[in-house]
Amino acid sequence: MTTTAVDSVAQSQAARDAVEEFPVVYDVPDDAALTDQILSPIWTRSRAWWPLFIVSGLLAVLFIYAMGVTFVRGIGSWGNNVPVAWAWGITDFVWWIGIGHAGTFISAFLILLNQRWRASINRFAESMTLFALVNASLFPILHLGRPWFFYWLIPYPATMGVWPNFKSSLPWDVAAVSTYFTVSLLFWYLGLVPDLAAARDRAPGITRRRIYGIFALGWRGSSQEWRHYRVAYTLLAGLATPLVISVHSIVSLDFAITQLPGWHSTIFPPYFVVGAIYSGLAMVLMLILPARRIFHLKDIITEAHLSNLAKLMLVTGSMLAYSYLCEAFVSWYSGDPFEYYTSFVARPLGPYAIIFWLMLCANILTPQLFWWKRMRTNTVVLFGASLLVFAGMWCERFIIIVGSLNRDFLPSSWHFYAPSWVDISLLAGSMGLFCFLFLAFLRWVPMVALSEVKRLHLDMRKERQPVKVRAADGAAS
Amino acid sequence: MSRRDFVSLVGATVALAGLSACVREPAEKILPYVDGGPDATPGAPLHFATSMTLDGYATGLLVTSHGGRPTKIEGNPEHPASLGAAGVFEQASVLQLYDPDRARYVQTGKRRGSWRTLSQEFSPATLRAHTGVRGAGLALLLAPTASPLISTMLDNVRNTYPDARTYFHDPLLNTGAAQSAIDTLGDSVIPQHDFRNADVIVSLGADFCAAGPFNLRYARDFGTRRRASGSGTNTLYVAECAPSPTGTLADHRIAASPATLGRIASALLQAMSADARFAGRVPANTLRGDTASNTLTAAERAWVKAAAADLAAHPGHGVVIAGPQQPAELHSIVHALNAITGNTGNTGSTVRYTKSQLIGDRDATHDLAALNTAIQAGGIDTLLILDGNPVYSAPADVPFRDAVGHVRNSVYLGLYNNETAKESKWMLPAAHYLESWGDGRAYDGTASLVQPLIAPLYGGRTVAEFLALIAGQSGISAHDLLQRSWRGHAAGSFGPWWDQTLARGVIADTAAPSTVTAIRWDSIGAAHAKLTVPVAPEQISMRFVPSPAVHDGQFANNGWLQELPHPITKLTWDNAAMLGAAFAERLGVARGDEVELKLRGRSLRVPALIVPGHANDVITLALGYGRAGAEGTARGVGSNANLIRTSSAPFTDVGVTVTRTGAHRDLAITQEHWSLEGRGDAILGVAEASAQSASKQPQPVPPTRKRRPLTLYEPPAPSADGFGADQWAMVIDLNTCTGCNACVVACQAENNIPVVGRESVLKSREMQWMRIDRYVEGQLDDPQVSVQPMLCQQCEKAPCEYVCPVDATVHSDDGLNEMIYNRCVGTRFCSNNCPYKVRRFNWFDYNGEIAETERMVKNPEVTIRSRGVMEKCTFCVQRIRSAQIDAQLANEPRTGPVVTACQQTCPTGAIIFGSLTDPSSEVVRLREDPRCFSALDSLGTVPRVRYLARDRADEVLAEVETPDERREG
Repeated sequence: MTTTAVDSVAQSQAARDAVEEFPVVYDVPDDAALTDQILSPIWTRSRAWWPLFIVSGLLAVLFIYAMGVTFVRGIGSWGNNVPVAWAWGITDFVWWIGIGHAGTFISAFLILLNQRWRASINRFAESMTLFALVNASLFPILHLGRPWFFYWLIPYPATMGVWPNFKSSLPWDVAAVSTYFTVSLLFWYLGLVPDLAAARDRAPGITRRRIYGIFALGWRGSSQEWRHYRVAYTLLAGLATPLVISVHSIVSLDFAITQLPGWHSTIFPPYFVVGAIYSGLAMVLMLILPARRIFHLKDIITEAHLSNLAKLMLVTGSMLAYSYLCEAFVSWYSGDPFEYYTSFVARPLGPYAIIFWLMLCANILTPQLFWWKRMRTNTVVLFGASLLVFAGMWCERFIIIVGSLNRDFLPSSWHFYAPSWVDISLLAGSMGLFCFLFLAFLRWVPMVALSEVKRLHLDMRKERQPVKVRAADGAAS
Repeated sequence: MSRRDFVSLVGATVALAGLSACVREPAEKILPYVDGGPDATPGAPLHFATSMTLDGYATGLLVTSHGGRPTKIEGNPEHPASLGAAGVFEQASVLQLYDPDRARYVQTGKRRGSWRTLSQEFSPATLRAHTGVRGAGLALLLAPTASPLISTMLDNVRNTYPDARTYFHDPLLNTGAAQSAIDTLGDSVIPQHDFRNADVIVSLGADFCAAGPFNLRYARDFGTRRRASGSGTNTLYVAECAPSPTGTLADHRIAASPATLGRIASALLQAMSADARFAGRVPANTLRGDTASNTLTAAERAWVKAAAADLAAHPGHGVVIAGPQQPAELHSIVHALNAITGNTGNTGSTVRYTKSQLIGDRDATHDLAALNTAIQAGGIDTLLILDGNPVYSAPADVPFRDAVGHVRNSVYLGLYNNETAKESKWMLPAAHYLESWGDGRAYDGTASLVQPLIAPLYGGRTVAEFLALIAGQSGISAHDLLQRSWRGHAAGSFGPWWDQTLARGVIADTAAPSTVTAIRWDSIGAAHAKLTVPVAPEQISMRFVPSPAVHDGQFANNGWLQELPHPITKLTWDNAAMLGAAFAERLGVARGDEVELKLRGRSLRVPALIVPGHANDVITLALGYGRAGAEGTARGVGSNANLIRTSSAPFTDVGVTVTRTGAHRDLAITQEHWSLEGRGDAILGVAEASAQSASKQPQPVPPTRKRRPLTLYEPPAPSADGFGADQWAMVIDLNTCTGCNACVVACQAENNIPVVGRESVLKSREMQWMRIDRYVEGQLDDPQVSVQPMLCQQCEKAPCEYVCPVDATVHSDDGLNEMIYNRCVGTRFCSNNCPYKVRRFNWFDYNGEIAETERMVKNPEVTIRSRGVMEKCTFCVQRIRSAQIDAQLANEPRTGPVVTACQQTCPTGAIIFGSLTDPSSEVVRLREDPRCFSALDSLGTVPRVRYLARDRADEVLAEVETPDERREG
């Protein structure tokens, strides 16, 4: 399959030239220099790292403290109530798991679709996926009334012969998220092996060499190893790709299988998947834009990447807008007064109207910027837009969950929801944990898939594509 | 935690609960209601008849006792004031018994005493030494009572101390009503109403179905009549200031401020006296001038016209009733109205008069103000305050707190270390009625016995015992005192009579006989003249009303009651200045805005609460809040209305000024949304057959009501081995549901539902399995108020079941949607998918936080739920299973009748429960009624709880209006 992929690259050269406005990699001196550049953050710490690491670490401690409060005092320390039995916690869960989608999308989906520009950013995306999933998988457990019994959702052969209820989407949720996490971890780690070996080979000092040596699993870089590696990697990509679709589809069923107005909808699986990738892309951009600048990766992560990610956001954002439209249309067309009320009264005019309109503006208007090429490569615009989408997608989940629950069928049970300090600490803390893990990743793990970039470089030379030399001013910035 | 650990923990918990609840049987023989006797099965609950006194009148009760612990209170079916129903106060009183804040010791100052030292301190010899040989320096303050025992004891005390003075105080007692009876009927009589025969009922500020004496009986009679088929139903006209449970049932309700209510009453009298059918019944020139109807609005005139026409059309079959707290003049007019229409006397069958049963209800010269004057004048050495809480409930113009301090020796006998206890020299713990021997009389005069279910937890004594003590009878137990006072009553041998009476609770044939009365028309004329005097329009009235939750404050430490939503406003844990929407708009206040009420130079800050259907230019404030005693639950809840209430106008005053303070207070309201959002038909159903339509023929059930959702699976049929032999179902009649909350408390007591507190209610985390939804349609000042009891609908296609990931909520073969608490992990998915939002979640370990004594109130038949699990109405599954076991043991083919807790206590009998497989059950019949519907039918949940839609006759009133009147309106 790999050879086929390479062949096709050559064959579709003309088409590619037309599509790729920017080179996917600028000329780098040689592979050794590239390796040194990518690995240098592991050996030499930047000055900003420690303060960032400590701040995010403190936030992670807040996360643990808030979890402790939840476990010891009970779920009542959150703001949830009846009717809003799911609120901030599930919003965080869906949001984090959505963010976790872009990683696998970029690394697995794009591999199968032969998008070679993915090579420079897939490590970022995969790591992000992993850390987002760590957060995402914590929330449903925290959210249980009796979290110490979370394993009852797993089909294990219990003495009493009781099984989970397979009619409910939640056991499937557990299965989908844990599968996704496992596959993402394997995929990430497999991709890391050659780079860990490179780190081992370049590590100063015996201790680091040994540590990286252990994690490199004895990689020697023989052609046989490479052959097995490519096959395994492609197979895993094939396995991971349907998961991108399935995980958020199943998460969406947590809502779609109910009869709550605003949840009861057949459009939810694709709607959720698209939204997930959308938010994940925003997160990837938010992570690579600073990294690209701080670690001088502009030759590897080029305008092509930024532009492509922006285009993908435009596409997924438009699909999301279409989903919003469909949902509204069906609410009206169904003639169901409850659905109608939720879509056209409760959400746009109800107690959470501000969040609803913020969601619409952030998620639909923002990507419209990316019709313009200049906007797609302007890092400030990209970062700002990603931040908006990042927030907008959290609002979307909040509107879907709280915005539907707080006003359902009987007006007698309607009630406002407000988060408690624990809710807010958990969200801030989970962001802290994410940053903490990501900073640790930047510090100790090769942040760019070295072997893939080198291969891309090689491929492009093979194609005899004239490697464009970056303008001097651009290189300096 | 493993299952084994869990089981052993539960075992330990049960064992510990048993320890804390070690049997404390009363010393004397008590007798269960149904024959069980001493050989009853150990562990099986027993029921004992007793009675509880509230506002002086007794209500017969049946108390369930589990191993010597009273746990649940129901009404005594044989007692005329109950007929099997119990109100919120009666039911919640069992929690009061176990209240950890109850006074536990005889105390003088900080020093603990004992009953022995006390009996020396208060022996006749000592008392005489201090108060004089004839006891001139002795004063007693009691609550008005109808208890024959206390009356006898009081006579003993008066014999021992002939010059001792006796005073009576009840903050809710309206001397005006008693005065009116003396003025207009020439005797201190009270009206007895029979709603079974009443075709037309006109209520002037009377919430007779949910408050006031005899309300349980009145509600039952009213409900029975309204549900009776064939004979047509009754028409209820209500004019009231704040919407009440009775008002929500009204066919024609009108909001009326106190002044308007007086004008409406006099206009009604005017209209009746002008009616040709009653010509000559009112002496000429009694009612001078007819200014009354001119100051009424078109709507008020239409109401008066319709009510008058209806009353005139049903002579002898109407009831006109005034609220117990209404002024004397209104009561006089009502006496006149009943006399004119022939409701009283020989022709009528609906209103009769009996002698008043209360001792002290007409003693205007023996009230708290008189006592205060006597103390200020000097000469009172020893003051005995028996029951009540007069330091708290004294009107603002009676400085009773200081007065108690002036007395050399003061004694307070009460349940709590409250405000009065703080001021008194001696604090004596009173026995709760469930620990007492005693008796009482119902409003109709029927006497009933009080027998203890448990020996006094804190060594408390009753009022009768204390009276005996000071009369020198300290050696005699209350049981013997009681037997002595009834010994002469037994027809034959006393022993069997006593056993029989004690077991049944009611003393037969003791109802008061009717008295013949004659109206004094001159006093009616005076009342009429007084009510028609126009009030200056800028005068704002102030009403003080008993709280439907804590009454006059005596239940303020009761968590069940504090958390009980107000029947109309759904406010918990607070009182508020209730006011009408237009008035609020004029004042510029919104819900929760703090206002300062200034009345006769005194002021009070309370949060405002806008109530649809409340009359304008008037503020209603509930009594019983703002307690400042040592009771932990009651302290600091709400504001004390007594601080601006005066003895001259204890219930209705004028001239209050209302100003916004700018502050805001959160109000813990369980249902904040009034509106139906256009969903009325889906939620409250449509009554196809109007009550007023001539034909009561059952109409064909519309096909939509019969629809079953499409399914691939046939519902399981009952099989021969008894699988699904019963299919339980409930029907709730919205025509007779008052929303009085009795079922809510019944459910709370039966099913061990915890109290969550104000903060949790503010977060919408209340736990009551049953709630009464209240909706308002139409104009905010003249709305249609609807109530709907909402509980688990036990859907046949339950949306909660398929979403539970661990199968913790499943269907039983007899049609119950069951909760398996120990399987629940608390995802709360079921609650999200419940369209009725009737599931309740244990956000914290509510049951782990309660006091040791309060654990004793828990029903051992029902699991105590831990933190993190979901719970909801079970259709009282413990009662169903118990009935099934009984049927199996007795080899009965069919499970006997099962009565749910809510159904058992419903005063109007609006809740009907039974099995669908029993063709004779009322549920089967009612489900065929054209009014029967299921809430949110279109969702296809197929609820087992159905409702009978409310018949509304409001359009009839519009027909009565003449065109010119409509133009004016």
